[in-house]
Amino acid sequence: MNRGIRWVGYGIALAAVAFAVVLASRFGSDPGLVDSPLIGRSAPQFDLAPLEGGDPVSLADLDGNIVLVNFFASWCLQCRNEHDALTSTADAFADQGVTLVQISYQESPPNSISYLETAGRSEHAYYLADPGSRTAIGYGVFGIPETFFIDEQGIIVGKIIGESDAFTLGATIDAIKRGETPGQSVTGDTQQRPDQ
Amino acid sequence: MLSLLGSTGMVVALVGAGLLVARGVGTARSGRATNLAGAARLLVSGAVAAMAALVVALLTDDFSLVYTANHHSSLTPFPFDVATAWAALEGSIVLWGLVLAGYTWFVFRRYRRSPDSLGAAALAVMGGVALFFFGLMVTVANPFEVCVEAMEAGCAASSPWPFATVDTPGNGPGPNPLLQNHFMMAIHPPVLYLGYVGMTVPFAYAIGALALGVPGPEWLRRSHRSTLVAWSFLTAGILLGGWWAYEVLSWGGYWAWDPVENASLMPWLVATAFLHSGIVQQRRGMLQAWNFILVISTFSLTILGTFLTRSGTINSVHSFTQSAIGPALLGFLMLTLVGSFVLFSTRADLVASSPRMGSFVSREGTFLINNLLLSVYAFIVLIGTTYPLVLEAFTGTQVGVGEPFFNRLAVPLSFMLLLVMGFGPVTPWGTTGPELVWRRVRNPAVVGLAAGVLVALAVSRNGWVVLSITLGVFVLATLAGLLVEQVGRRTAKTGETVVDATRQVVTGDGAFWGGQLSHAGVVLIAIGIAFAANLGTHAQVEMRPGESTTFEGYTLTYESPFQQTPPGKTVVGARLTVTRGDRTVGIVEPSWNFFGAQSGVGTPDVLHRPGGDLYFTLDDLPEDAGDPVSISLDTSPMIWVLWLGGLVTVLGGFLAMRARRTERRVAEERPTVDV
Amino acid sequence: MSERLRNILTVALLLVLATVLIALVATNPTAADRVESIGERIKCPVCQGESIANSPSQMARDMMALVEERVDDGAGDDEIIDELLFSYSGAVLLDPPARGPTLVLWIAPVAALVLGAGVIFWWRGHPGGGPGTDDVPVRSRARRLAPLLVLGGAFAVIVVVAGFFLQEREGPASGVANLAGQDLTEVSNETMEAVIAANVDHPQVDGMRLALAERYYETGDFRSAFPHYLAVAESPNAADPEAVTALIRLGWMAWEGNGEAGTALDLLDEALAIDSGSDTARYLKAQVLWCGAGDAAGAAELLQAVLGDPELADDSRELIQSDLDAIRSGDSCR
Repeated sequence: MNRGIRWVGYGIALAAVAFAVVLASRFGSDPGLVDSPLIGRSAPQFDLAPLEGGDPVSLADLDGNIVLVNFFASWCLQCRNEHDALTSTADAFADQGVTLVQISYQESPPNSISYLETAGRSEHAYYLADPGSRTAIGYGVFGIPETFFIDEQGIIVGKIIGESDAFTLGATIDAIKRGETPGQSVTGDTQQRPDQ
Repeated sequence: MLSLLGSTGMVVALVGAGLLVARGVGTARSGRATNLAGAARLLVSGAVAAMAALVVALLTDDFSLVYTANHHSSLTPFPFDVATAWAALEGSIVLWGLVLAGYTWFVFRRYRRSPDSLGAAALAVMGGVALFFFGLMVTVANPFEVCVEAMEAGCAASSPWPFATVDTPGNGPGPNPLLQNHFMMAIHPPVLYLGYVGMTVPFAYAIGALALGVPGPEWLRRSHRSTLVAWSFLTAGILLGGWWAYEVLSWGGYWAWDPVENASLMPWLVATAFLHSGIVQQRRGMLQAWNFILVISTFSLTILGTFLTRSGTINSVHSFTQSAIGPALLGFLMLTLVGSFVLFSTRADLVASSPRMGSFVSREGTFLINNLLLSVYAFIVLIGTTYPLVLEAFTGTQVGVGEPFFNRLAVPLSFMLLLVMGFGPVTPWGTTGPELVWRRVRNPAVVGLAAGVLVALAVSRNGWVVLSITLGVFVLATLAGLLVEQVGRRTAKTGETVVDATRQVVTGDGAFWGGQLSHAGVVLIAIGIAFAANLGTHAQVEMRPGESTTFEGYTLTYESPFQQTPPGKTVVGARLTVTRGDRTVGIVEPSWNFFGAQSGVGTPDVLHRPGGDLYFTLDDLPEDAGDPVSISLDTSPMIWVLWLGGLVTVLGGFLAMRARRTERRVAEERPTVDV
Repeated sequence: MSERLRNILTVALLLVLATVLIALVATNPTAADRVESIGERIKCPVCQGESIANSPSQMARDMMALVEERVDDGAGDDEIIDELLFSYSGAVLLDPPARGPTLVLWIAPVAALVLGAGVIFWWRGHPGGGPGTDDVPVRSRARRLAPLLVLGGAFAVIVVVAGFFLQEREGPASGVANLAGQDLTEVSNETMEAVIAANVDHPQVDGMRLALAERYYETGDFRSAFPHYLAVAESPNAADPEAVTALIRLGWMAWEGNGEAGTALDLLDEALAIDSGSDTARYLKAQVLWCGAGDAAGAAELLQAVLGDPELADDSRELIQSDLDAIRSGDSCR
């Protein structure tokens, strides 16, 4: 009986130490951050109409290009910050087989359109509406801004969570051209719609 | 000035705690009486001063304090400005320290009445815990740092030195919007802390008993009252939290198995087991090992809960922001667990010397089963809450564990507990045959099943609803039967009226009947949950102004959107009229609240009705007043039974503090070692 | 009445009531809402721990709309959840699956209960210090029971550990072998795409590719079908019949879709190299030769050979015969 009690006591103490070590190892890591399972998989297809309406643009249309899929909205502060970088990247790489597709997330098209009027557009980029958030769901979007990099074969090889800048975008595109898989990187926070 | 007062208070309390430890240990070991009054007084006065400084700073909008600058706003109305004292991390530790000082004072007063080694040792342990928490305050979680570099709304840099050059910002951002939405913010945390922190007392006595090598029920007897008080407050705190979530969160949910909610449930489960199991040791001397394990686990789980809330290792609605407090709490948790259980193991011979249980068909047996069920329940909640963390640490795989998992296991366990609740109180102590139990249980079983059949025919055939009524009525019937039996016996003996006899029976054994009242309360909670969770309905409607729709026999008419600006926030919502037949039942205004620059918070509106609540959530408010508004509708049938049950459970706990009449005659403690 | 009679009556009454109760509950007419129950297993990605069924946020409602649509499509519960996990990973599952690394969570509580009960029984039976009751018959009963319970608990623990190590890969990736055995008509295109994409090296993936490609082909979605046919045709693992089918389809698409006679002939020749007796390949090649390459003689020769196949279906025979007649009489291509 005594022996049993002793074992129980020491056993719990030991388990507690092991538990503490495990807990301690999680310090500093963001518990909310999820590794995207899409890296290395075929990019989900989409077939979306531009914000103003018109013929839909599908991912298959852009086959053979490196496609940047960026989810944005006017109520997203980091999206506004990175907008110029995205636009300039779209222009700079336009003749190198790189296409930017910006998809409006959780926002009505009129709001996105008026935002883009002040923020500016690239002639070489597409600005699409995502009714019912089907594409956002397909890409596993947790918050914005999120930017996905799709290579020439249609495989997702990179993802940036948070605000990006021209340098990061360019370096990632170069890496993809060399056939590398940049993977997922977190540059900052993402946002949710403010009224939720 | 307030920074100086607060900082001094913290340091004074720290010194008091240290003295308490040193002198308490000295007293316990040597047997020589030392005056612990000074140490206790220092601790309490320091804690009070710290809290007072914080509250005054908030009430007077003193933004020179970093805490006020970062968490308070001059626009925040009463009582939320006072509640800001515990809305953020550093302030919550101050509250913890204050409550701990209060409990320590009560332990001290008991010691003063009859000083002995056990009391001194218990005080030393309480002082040790206070040493840790005030140590936290003085080092990593200092709310009295002054602002040395102000921003527009908040503080950019701070210093712990009260005499540093102060740069006072003009205003602060105010507390988190979710914490300004409901007056419960002023009540729920203090009540919850009165529960959490109170568990330190039985723990302190247990460690004292182990350290001194004093076995037996003495440590239990002395701490029993504190355990009851703490348990009652913890129960109340959890229920108030659930009610708050229900009134404020947008889906009629009062419990979501959120990690921080679980962090409060785990110690509650183990504390309940401890409360029951302690009775066995006090009456029969059995289950001593269980009691030590249970009380150490209860206290450790309160620390684990604190850790999970504040360390940033688990994502939760309730999380405080991450800080260096995480490693400190983890270290303390380790010290507590390892130290206590190693001490426990070294005293194994002491702990083991308790009489063996004769038969399972006895009150002791049912308590043992109760221990097992509650411990497994707590274990389930623990692994469910921490498994994603552990798995990610080992393999990197991310999994989610949520409501479906917990409900799947908790619901059957809860029903098993209800069943034991029916059998336990009618099973006599010692090894008497099962015939008495059968005689006391057979009629209630019939009544319970009959009630179940009635409900199945008249209300709903949902399995959980029917089961909750069947078992619930069974428990209530066994309780009633027991009361009738005892009152009958008494009237036969004394010839009193039934009313008098009942009063005598109940007050004669307040501990038992208070407990039974709590059981009745738990039955009501179970029934309330079963009905609300299983018979609720949901709909989503879109209405233009003037349009009506029907839902569950009510007619809802969307009148118009509205906007209000009470101090500190902007409220935007939709106004609806609810009618039944030709009678207007009420006007509801589900809304969104926007606080300053921060994002909005959905605020539902609830219509409380006897049959159940009607719950309105605003999903979409269009920009044009003429466009349709989108509203979610939910019903929570009979949910008031839940809240009533909670009230009854807590009342039972407080009632149980009345000692048995026989025990009151032996009111003074038996000293263990003369001082 | 005597105690015994009373007991009998009470037990009888209890049994009657219990039976009635169980009967009533078992015939509960209200069915659970499937969309709701699926939604309660998925965590809303933009909320803190709420399920998409319970969260009022727009994203949650959009996801519930998607779930509802998929349910209407006829998709199964697990399939719909797998599709969401494909995009979001297992982190949005609120209900840990009973396999792989989360098997522990299913077993551990039961194991704890069983082990706990076993330990209690064992300790009660085990003689301890102090004035206990030496109730011999009870003790031996408990002693007999206890090892059983402890064994049961140990077994459960072993299952747990084994489950952890024998974990299958999560989500749709764990699909190919399973899906191959199932009735594929229940599985959606998206799921198959997902499984294929995650299992490019799996030996059985070609069969799945072909099945998916055939689906696309049937619905006229040649663009989606094309890469899969190509993959099957080029795959070293593909079985002969699979490769032949793929090549034939590719040839057909090259000819009918793009009018590329040369490419079509190459592909069909490849198919015939594998299976020289393939009627479909020969017939198609004849078509291409006749209409595209202007080689009526070659076409006629092939069609003649096809007619020589004793297993040719009657209506096909009629069609081929009429074509052959047309060629012989010098008609231009139809």
